[in-house]
Amino acid sequence: MIQSTAMPMAALAAGILVQVILYRALSSKLKGWLAFGAGVVALAGVANLLPAIIQGSTIEKTLFIWDQNIPFQYHVDGLSLIFAFMATGIGSAILLYCINYMAHEKEGVTRFYVLMLIFIAGLVNLVFSANLISVYLSWEIIGLCSYFLVGFWYKETAAVKGARKVLVMTHIPGYGLLAAILLLYYQSGSFIWTDPAVSAAFTSGIFVLMLAAAMAKSVMFPLHTWIPEAMNAPTPVSALLHSACYVKAGVYLIARMYSMTHWPHAWNIIVVTLGCVTIIVGALFALAQTDLKRLLAYSTISQLGYILTGLGIGTNLGIAAALFYCLSHGLFKGTLFLCAGAVQHSTGTRDMSKLGGLAKRMPWTARVWMIAAAAIIGVPLTNGFVAKWLLLDAALDANIIAVVLVAWIVSVITAIYMLKATISVFYGVMPKWLQEKNVHEAEPSMLGGMGILAGLCLLFGIAPQILFANLVSPAVNALNFSWEINLAWLGLQTSSAGIQVTLGAVIVLAAVLVGGLIFSLIRSSRKEKSVDLFTGGEPLVEETGMNSTDITILAETVLKPVYKATDPDPLYMTIWNGIIRLANWCRKWLQPVSDKYAIPATMVLSAVVFIAVWLS
Amino acid sequence: MALNLLQTVTSVSTASWDLIFCISFIILIVAILVYAAFIPQGTRCWWFLAGLTCALTVLGMTISEGWVRILMLDAAAFSAVALVWTQESLQAKKAARTYLILMIIAVFFIAAGIYLAGEGNASPAYSIDKTAVFLLVVGFSLKLALVPFYFWLPKVAEHSKPMTTVIIVSVVDIAAFSELAHLRLTAPWVFNDYSVIWLVLALLSMFGGAVLALAQKNIKRMLAFSTIDDMGYLVLGTLAGTQYGINGAMLAALSHAFFKMLLFGAVGIVENGKGSDLTLDDRGMAARYPVSAAVFILGALGMIGVPPFFGFVGRWRLYLSGLEYGGVVLVLAMAAATALALLYYVRVIHRVWLGKPETVVSSSKEPRAAAAVLLLLLLLMLAVGLYPGWLTGLIG
Repeated sequence: MIQSTAMPMAALAAGILVQVILYRALSSKLKGWLAFGAGVVALAGVANLLPAIIQGSTIEKTLFIWDQNIPFQYHVDGLSLIFAFMATGIGSAILLYCINYMAHEKEGVTRFYVLMLIFIAGLVNLVFSANLISVYLSWEIIGLCSYFLVGFWYKETAAVKGARKVLVMTHIPGYGLLAAILLLYYQSGSFIWTDPAVSAAFTSGIFVLMLAAAMAKSVMFPLHTWIPEAMNAPTPVSALLHSACYVKAGVYLIARMYSMTHWPHAWNIIVVTLGCVTIIVGALFALAQTDLKRLLAYSTISQLGYILTGLGIGTNLGIAAALFYCLSHGLFKGTLFLCAGAVQHSTGTRDMSKLGGLAKRMPWTARVWMIAAAAIIGVPLTNGFVAKWLLLDAALDANIIAVVLVAWIVSVITAIYMLKATISVFYGVMPKWLQEKNVHEAEPSMLGGMGILAGLCLLFGIAPQILFANLVSPAVNALNFSWEINLAWLGLQTSSAGIQVTLGAVIVLAAVLVGGLIFSLIRSSRKEKSVDLFTGGEPLVEETGMNSTDITILAETVLKPVYKATDPDPLYMTIWNGIIRLANWCRKWLQPVSDKYAIPATMVLSAVVFIAVWLS
Repeated sequence: MALNLLQTVTSVSTASWDLIFCISFIILIVAILVYAAFIPQGTRCWWFLAGLTCALTVLGMTISEGWVRILMLDAAAFSAVALVWTQESLQAKKAARTYLILMIIAVFFIAAGIYLAGEGNASPAYSIDKTAVFLLVVGFSLKLALVPFYFWLPKVAEHSKPMTTVIIVSVVDIAAFSELAHLRLTAPWVFNDYSVIWLVLALLSMFGGAVLALAQKNIKRMLAFSTIDDMGYLVLGTLAGTQYGINGAMLAALSHAFFKMLLFGAVGIVENGKGSDLTLDDRGMAARYPVSAAVFILGALGMIGVPPFFGFVGRWRLYLSGLEYGGVVLVLAMAAATALALLYYVRVIHRVWLGKPETVVSSSKEPRAAAAVLLLLLLLMLAVGLYPGWLTGLIG
């Protein structure tokens, strides 16, 4: 089994080596194809482990002694496999997209692909590792990759600023994870999380430390403000960061704590509360954005809140919903980012107030976007619907009405900001400057990358049972829960307390379908023409209608106090300013002593030490 | 069941540590000399004194115990003072004068302290023990530039050529630190009975060094404060005296030596190109010095113990020893000090190296050989960080 557990890592390592060794010999496109190839082989390696996991077994292997008596050990179970699939599967689709996206980049292409492959390898190693020190190592490796990838265009101030924020805001809370690991080791004498001694040593303090680290990685309020600033990275990086390899690391860690120990109820309450606040904050801030990628970044915050809330509910259904949501989010968010990248690639901007009518020039990109947008909103036939549906059902089942309300209200807000984005970018009248510009459809490999992900959004929306049977169920079992829910097509199920809601939904769905049918029949019988309406003069030009900027201004005006109250950045800035003031104050007093009175000061200090020693 | 990790280690193989230090010093010295061959560091006199300092240190380390070893290492310290004196500027000579006076005090105090402490695990009679501890605390604080006895180091670093500083902080200082670690094993009472004083020094250095580093404009001066900051961790690990503490401090000392070479080396390349000191007012140096920038960025992150570099191998052991010695509060304090270190490094990385250069200034290209030396060392740090087993396996 050594070959099979090591295969994904070996494939990615080989990919990295080839990039480094042949960096002068290969063209940008060839580098892209090779990286994609490495990703696909790694994906095959992960898939190779699936049969054993479906059968209910876990794969344990000590590969070598890593440091003194600390083994480099893998423990692969259902949970590991979900995340490994996301990393290698979604990662490969993104790498396919990169082939054309990065083809025109003048410098740093090798650096880009090496970092992307290390990024994917880092997450695979994180989720495969049984050794907690190795988990931390991978945790920080993906942190470094995100730092360098966000700052890929290192001569641009905006990119560099974003990278700095990513590093500072995610690395510092990461010490929580390291402290937790060392505490566990100190108490149990083992770094292996599957060791029962580790489970026995798990305390609430350790939970809090790990949660702090996970919150920063998974953009939970109030450690979420780094992610919108990370949007000046190349778009495939944003896609990988948001969908598969970065924010999901925190989700993995929180989920994995279920494998390590039994959760007291208080922990569930903490995670659910944080999740709900994050859902709301992310969505409200998304409303106010005019930058397409920033809007998607805030939506990630909100969506991650949904996932964490599911984990926090902590029932069989809640865990299953969270894990399915996690996979679904990877697919639709990856797609959305890749579409945003295609738009930026083609138009040179991602400012929604300057875009419009792109569906005519980029019809396939628009279609792919529509599928993913429908998924994030939770439209039936998409995986997003199943994920939201199960989450609501889990909350109902657990009788947590607050979660139901939050999830429901924010779903409406999600629909508003996604529709705003969709209409602003793809529909309406194309601005003059765009009409004059050579706006073209995305290249085939770019379309291929995002098309695959969008196709999976539909596939797992229509037949989610494929994922549940093969991936979610083993993962739920790996977290010491059991999966006994029978799931049908479209994610509908009849074996939980949500049966009434399910039935209601079927009626609503039927009504919507019938309504849609009637509407389409009526519309097709009429000849499409605009209605001549006297408006007091000449018809108003379309640009005067409500656009993304207006919605932003409206949101900023109405929600100003909310934005002010929920933005933690001023607090972080105050801390930073305080540290700098302290540093300057220390220098002001100590530098003259150091420069002019070093010897007398040494004498005085020696006398102080003398007294201290004597009094000891 | 909690492990009893608080046993003082007396069985650490000091001989194998000395061997590891010797090999590391030789690698470092070769790197320093190759670098100096391409980036001028001084006259012939500099070369002679650099060679002498390095040779004395390595010879001293090959002698396992006793006064000859101490004498060799002290001679290396004075040779390092002379090395600073060879610099042309008046400020360098002034810094050398301060360094000399403080080293004389340090050498005298340490020698007297060791003499009074005597041999064996038991402490000497009352008053002699206190005198010995006083002398040792002040002596080592001066030699290692711990806060508040750090006065000589920032000045020396600011006014010397980078490789002079590297010889001092990566070779002479680290050898001096190994003496402190030896003392921890041969006279544990010096630490156990006066732990509060050592702890205060360690914490002052960790936090004081980091805070003062944040306030510096001159990058070499900032790096000097980062050394002071780092010494705090080393002293803390030594004070803990556990297996993880001692091994962590030794490993961290080694990584410190290499990473400081990388950091000063990168700064030296830029200063050589622009003809003046690198400060926080400089911008976008990565555009002109990409290899140096990469080395500095990765070296800085490795320095503070970010995986997967060698720095992490020692750093997590130090955190663990902090946990063993002072519980969660101490380990969180150490993490907070490291966070401060991250802030001052990130500040430099993003103000000086990354971003747009403010003005288009013609600069010389990076000397390839010097950059290659730094890259090779960086790869070595990465290799040891990824698979530390081959090194930690040697120490048992």
